[in-house]
Amino acid sequence: MTREISVELQKVSKLYGQDKVVNEVSLTVEKGEIFVLIGPSGCGKTTTLKMINQLIPHTSGNILVNGIDVAELDAVELRRSIGYVIQYIGLLPHLTIQENIAFVLKLTKQSKKVQKEKAEELIETVGLPLNYLTRYPRELSGGQQQRVGVARALAANPDILLMDEPFGAVDPLTREQLQNELLRLQESIRKTIVFVTHDIQEAFKVGSRIGILKQGELVSLGTPMEIVKTDDEFVKSFIGQGALFEVLDTIEVSRVIEKEIPLVRENEKVDHTADILSGWDNVFVVDADQNCLGYLPLNTLKPDGSFNKNQIVPLPVSSTPDISVKFAVEKMLWEGRTWLPIVDKQAGFKGIVLFRSCADLLAGDRG
Amino acid sequence: MELLIGAWNYFLNKQDLMIAVLKEHVNLVLWATLLTILIGAPLGILIARTQKARDIVLGSVSVLYTIPILAFFGFLIPIMGIGTRPALIALVIYGLLPVIRNSCVGITQVHPMIKEAARGMGTNNWQLLFKVEIPLAFPVIFAGIRTALVMNFSLATYAVFIGAGGMGRIIMQGIRTYNTSMLLAGILMVVITTVLLERIIGYVDRRIQKRFSLGE
Repeated sequence: MTREISVELQKVSKLYGQDKVVNEVSLTVEKGEIFVLIGPSGCGKTTTLKMINQLIPHTSGNILVNGIDVAELDAVELRRSIGYVIQYIGLLPHLTIQENIAFVLKLTKQSKKVQKEKAEELIETVGLPLNYLTRYPRELSGGQQQRVGVARALAANPDILLMDEPFGAVDPLTREQLQNELLRLQESIRKTIVFVTHDIQEAFKVGSRIGILKQGELVSLGTPMEIVKTDDEFVKSFIGQGALFEVLDTIEVSRVIEKEIPLVRENEKVDHTADILSGWDNVFVVDADQNCLGYLPLNTLKPDGSFNKNQIVPLPVSSTPDISVKFAVEKMLWEGRTWLPIVDKQAGFKGIVLFRSCADLLAGDRG
Repeated sequence: MELLIGAWNYFLNKQDLMIAVLKEHVNLVLWATLLTILIGAPLGILIARTQKARDIVLGSVSVLYTIPILAFFGFLIPIMGIGTRPALIALVIYGLLPVIRNSCVGITQVHPMIKEAARGMGTNNWQLLFKVEIPLAFPVIFAGIRTALVMNFSLATYAVFIGAGGMGRIIMQGIRTYNTSMLLAGILMVVITTVLLERIIGYVDRRIQKRFSLGE
C-alpha cells in the first residue's frame, strides 16, 4: 500500500529577528492520519501549525500541501482549502451558529441555499440539534461551541484540518467526550488532521503519530508506542511515568488477538498431529454458530482425540474486542490468568489474548 | 409662572420662526455629524493598525477639542468669513474626537483569537474588516457617534455667533432685546429637543447593543 502524503515540511525554520522559534523541522503527514504536535509552551508547535496554512509565513525551507509548495499558492485560497479549528472563543460572536458554520462558504460567495444546507448537514454531523442554528455562540456551552468550531472547519469540505489546542479551554470531562467524538467522526470523514496540544494524554489518545518539539526542534517522532519506547531523556521526562499505560489504553485489544488458535467442532475429534497444536496446552471447542463452548486441556483427551462434552471447561468471563490493552492486562492481573477470551457480540468467538502478546507490544522492536 | 405663560404665548405666535430655526439647527447638526462619521470612522479604523498613528492623530484631535468654540470661530472667520460653512467645520472638528477614538478602540478591542480564526478560515483583508472587525466594533463606534451627535446638537446653539442660524438665534435675540419670553422660549426649546434627541438615540443605542451584545 503506497501512502499518500498530505503535508510535508522540509527543513522549515521560522526566525523572529535572531530568535529561531522553529529550527529546520522536517516531517510528513500522511493522508488520513491524525498527526499530533506536542511540546512544552514556547516550543514552536503552534508556530509550526500556523505555517502550514501560512497564518505565519516561514523564513526558510519548503512546506508542501498536497504536493504543492505553499509559497506558490495564494495564502487566502490556501486557508480556505484547509479547515482550521481553535479554542471555542474563535467563533464569531456577532453571527448565528448557521452563519458561523457557513462562514467559509459565504467568503467564497456560495448561494444562501448551499450555505443553509451545509450548515444543517454539519450540525448533525457534530451531534447538535438543528434548532441551534439560529442561536448565537454565547448561548451555547463551551463544549457545544467547540463542536460548532469543528463543523465550521468542515464546511468547505477540506482534506486537511489544522487543530490548535481545540479542546484546551473546556473542562476535563467535556474534553474527553470531545476527543471521543473526534475519533468517532474521523472514522467516517477520514481527514488528514494536524493537531497541536500540550496535553500528553490527549496526544496519546488522538494521535496516530506524534511529533515532540523542544525549543523549535523536532526531538522525537513516531507512533505513541514508539514515543513511549524512546530513550531520549527529554522525551522521557516530558511524557512522564504513567505514559506507558496511557498508550496501552489507546490500543484496542483486537490488535493483539491470537487468531490462529486450535479449534475443534463440538462433535469432531482433535487431530493430535496438526501443526497448530504445537505450543498449546488447550484446544477450544466451538459450535456451528461460532460460539465457544469452552476449552479442553490437551492432556485430558482420549488417545484417539475424541472427548466427552462434560470434559469441556467453560470459558472465563469473556471480553469484547473493543476494550483497550490496558484494560485487558488489568483484567488478567486481577483474575490471575495469562489469557483472556475475546467474544464479539455479533461475530461470536474471536480468539484469545495472551499476556505475552501484550508484553510483546512493548518489547516489540526494542531489540 | 407669568414668564412661562409669556414663553408659551411667544411660542404659539411665532411658530413659523420656531420651525425655521429648528430646521436650520437640525440641518446643521445632521450634516456636521454625517461629515464627522465619514471622516472620523475611517480615520479611527485606519489608525487602529499602528500605535504611532494612533498617538499622533488622537493627540492632535484632543488638542483641537480643548479649544473653546468661540475662539475657534474667531480663528475661522478671517479664513472663511461667516455663514454655515465655518460653523459646519467647527462642529465637525469637535465631533471628530469621540468618533475617531471610539472607532479606534472598537477595532483594537476585537479579540485577537477571533481575528485569527477568521483569517485562518480564509478572509482577505477587506473581508476581515467588513465581516468581522467592523461588525464587532460597531456598538463602540456607534457610542462615539451618539456622543458626537448630542454634543454637536447643543454646541450648534453657538452657531448664531458666526451667522449660521439655528436655535441660538432665538436666545440671542431674546437677550439683546430684553425679551424674557423670547429668551425662555428659546432656552426651553433647546432643552426639550436635546433631551428628546438623547432619548431617541439612547433607544437606538440600546437596540444596537442588544443586537450586537457580546456579553455573557
